[in-house]
Amino acid sequence: MASDALRSQVAAKWQEAFGRLNKNEQGIAGLMAFSKAWNLALALLHPRKLDEPKEPADIDTIKTAFTVINAGRRLPFLLETFLEELQKHYYLVQMDVEEYMSRFEETEDPDFVRKLVLRLVAWFKHWAPMSELGTTIYSAYTLSFQTHLFSIVPPSFARGFKVLIASTLATSNSSTATSDSAIETDDLNAPIWQAFETLGLIDRYETIIATIGYEFIEQHVLEACTGEWSRPMLVELRDWMSDKVVPWMVLIYARGAANADEARVMLQGVGSRFDFHINKTLCDLRTREIFDIIIDFPESSGALYDLRDCLQRVDQRPALVKALRQANRKRLLHPGADTKLILSQYVATIKCLRLIDPPGVLLFKVADPIRRYLRDRPDTIRCIVANLVGDDSDSPDSLLDDTLDPSGTGGVGGSGTGGNNGQLLVNPATLVDDYSDPNWDPEPIDAGPEFRANKPGDVLSTLVSIYDSQDLFVKELQVLLAQRLLSIPISSSDQTSNAEIVEKIEKERRNVEILKLRFGEAALGVCEVMLRDMTDSRRIDAHIQGVQENVVHPTIISQHFWPALESSSLSMPGQFSALQQTYSTAFNTFKPDKRLKFLPHLGTITLHLELEDRDLEVTVPPLEAAFIELFAEKNTWSLEQLMEGVGGVDRGSALKALLTWIDHGVVEECVDEEREGLFRLVEVVKEKGEDEGAGGLARQGVAAQVQAQEAGGAGVQPAASAQQQQAEQMRVYWKFIEGMLTNLGGLPIDRIQSMLRFAPGYDQTVEQLSLFLEAARREGVVVCREGVWKLNK
Amino acid sequence: MKITVKHWHAVAQWRWDTGNSDPDDADGEGDVCGICRVPFEGCCPSCKMPGDDCPLIWGECTHVFHLHCLLKWLGTVASKQQCPMDRRTWVTAERRVGEASAPGPAADS
Repeated sequence: MASDALRSQVAAKWQEAFGRLNKNEQGIAGLMAFSKAWNLALALLHPRKLDEPKEPADIDTIKTAFTVINAGRRLPFLLETFLEELQKHYYLVQMDVEEYMSRFEETEDPDFVRKLVLRLVAWFKHWAPMSELGTTIYSAYTLSFQTHLFSIVPPSFARGFKVLIASTLATSNSSTATSDSAIETDDLNAPIWQAFETLGLIDRYETIIATIGYEFIEQHVLEACTGEWSRPMLVELRDWMSDKVVPWMVLIYARGAANADEARVMLQGVGSRFDFHINKTLCDLRTREIFDIIIDFPESSGALYDLRDCLQRVDQRPALVKALRQANRKRLLHPGADTKLILSQYVATIKCLRLIDPPGVLLFKVADPIRRYLRDRPDTIRCIVANLVGDDSDSPDSLLDDTLDPSGTGGVGGSGTGGNNGQLLVNPATLVDDYSDPNWDPEPIDAGPEFRANKPGDVLSTLVSIYDSQDLFVKELQVLLAQRLLSIPISSSDQTSNAEIVEKIEKERRNVEILKLRFGEAALGVCEVMLRDMTDSRRIDAHIQGVQENVVHPTIISQHFWPALESSSLSMPGQFSALQQTYSTAFNTFKPDKRLKFLPHLGTITLHLELEDRDLEVTVPPLEAAFIELFAEKNTWSLEQLMEGVGGVDRGSALKALLTWIDHGVVEECVDEEREGLFRLVEVVKEKGEDEGAGGLARQGVAAQVQAQEAGGAGVQPAASAQQQQAEQMRVYWKFIEGMLTNLGGLPIDRIQSMLRFAPGYDQTVEQLSLFLEAARREGVVVCREGVWKLNK
Repeated sequence: MKITVKHWHAVAQWRWDTGNSDPDDADGEGDVCGICRVPFEGCCPSCKMPGDDCPLIWGECTHVFHLHCLLKWLGTVASKQQCPMDRRTWVTAERRVGEASAPGPAADS
């Protein structure tokens, strides 16, 4: 049982509470008044169903009631009771939420989500206490309502919300795009956004909203810019953004802005984030496309400018380098790609990356694998040089033209040897850092330690610098020039083609002049001599023809100034020999202290054949002419006899020469049994069809042999390529190697190299030596065991 | 069959007729100037163009040099106007046209 003390304490408490509620009213009148006020307040705040109308209440009565409650210090309890009531009735809201969401889940129609949101707002407003009751109760209510709401929404709501927002963005009104209208709220979607705001959804789902924005931007960028390289897109994208995205953003991020300026300030942070996202998306896109952009250059320069601008905002340079290197490795640097193609892509890469990054750091990083790969290709030099002199007709823009392109000057101070062109054609070796240059910039931060700034506008020197020395280029250049010059005839019967010849020679001279500026006067002095030989030959020939007509028009060359021409033991039979003799004599009369030595396997001969039933005029190489001359002596020859008759040529070229005549229908292979392997002259063409099968057969047989020979690599070229020359050179040193291996037994390659250095004129690198030894090993003359080379005995 | 040559674009090398080498020398390795050690068909170190721009000079002593090389040599005091090969006083030989083109060993080989 309770003690007395407890009893008195309870009594005291009760008295105190009673006094507080009853105030100083008589009896329990105060208590009654309080009770009335309490009931009134509760009835007012009671959460009802939506269709249940609120009880009409007089604002004054309510106010009085609340004052009464407040006076009794029961306001907190009232609030508590109200929130409890709220919780108890929240099942009503939950039912709605579940109904709408299940319908959304069935149809995926964001409209249900929209309806739900609006309905939730209706609930919210319906239950909200009057604003006259003070902010405390209102904010407590809001918080409580939102907390309950967030606790009951199903997981699919986030998804639905996302779809809904995306739909608001898609229908976003673009007509009110100017910044003045930024605070106008007559947007179609304004109500829904206000609903979101009321329900506190914006703050809760801010990440989702931002994601929607990013995704929207991404999608648009990809749609608008993929493959669209011809013009810069960044400006258009920004316009689009202020048209489409900014009004939408205003609703979210600048809600409650009083005027345009305020809105702008509020949008600043989020706006620059979105702008950054545009840059990043575009940058990623272009990075993915970079290889094809480079292929399309210069049509794709717009995309490159975009990329340049983007890279300044977004730090994607390493990604770009990586992507391009990967694409190059996958699509360019494989055996299937033509060297010419790789070169042109490399040149395009140089130009493109210069646009993006003038200091050349990107280029340096990307170019490295290409350069290493090109160095390993045997025909790189030949391709570069061919490109240099505009050898191939299908690429009109040769490197030489690039070299002369004044737009590429870049203001490089040069030695100025050749007037205007001197500036761009400076020998790269002279380009050292100028420490007194006031415009000097430090190297970019992502430049590696081995980065060397390439001066802009100097594609050619970049190409030349693939190799350590330019000697190789000069040599190849000479070989190529020799080939081209030898193919130009010295004179011709009619005037127009004579002019053409002069023009051709002049063109070569022009090329040489330009190249001289780059490679130096000394390096191309030899080419100068070759050119002069051409003009001298023309002069000499004109003089000799003036004295006595001769069908021979030789190009007379100074042997030490031309690349090593392939030697041949061909000697021209019959009337050709006589013709040569006549010309030599005439030459001797003109230049008494000089003699001529014909290189009979070079040049071309135009022949007129008179056969019994037909005449034929053909232009053929000398070997062919020699063969047909032999056929003039005797009608039937075997291949061996023919080869012997012209003083020994290799079988491949002999077959090829014969094939020419078989093609012309002048010679055919005998089909008779006893004369197998013989060829005979066709004086009279047989009736069609009679012997066609056999003739065709013969042709096929010879053609097959020719192909077999060619597969062996016996192409006929007037001038041996630099590579062949090098092999020739190495052969001289083979004697030394053989000697030292005989005397000293096995030797490692370094020893061989260091001993060879004592040999006069030896200038090969260890790599070249090892290539040579490798070739020798394949031929079986040496063996290599554990790095030691031995003679194979 | 009758074959007529209409036009023949041939290629030939020129070489000096120094008289003391076989004109049909197959390997084509010409002699070198005794002063600059460059082949006669090349040019002396001070020239760029071979041939008529850098001719040879024949001495009575049968020695042959690049004209420029020899003149430079004779221009020095140390030369005493002698042939650098045999120290005989240098006398330029008269070249007789016709003799040069005659095959076979030259008169004073």
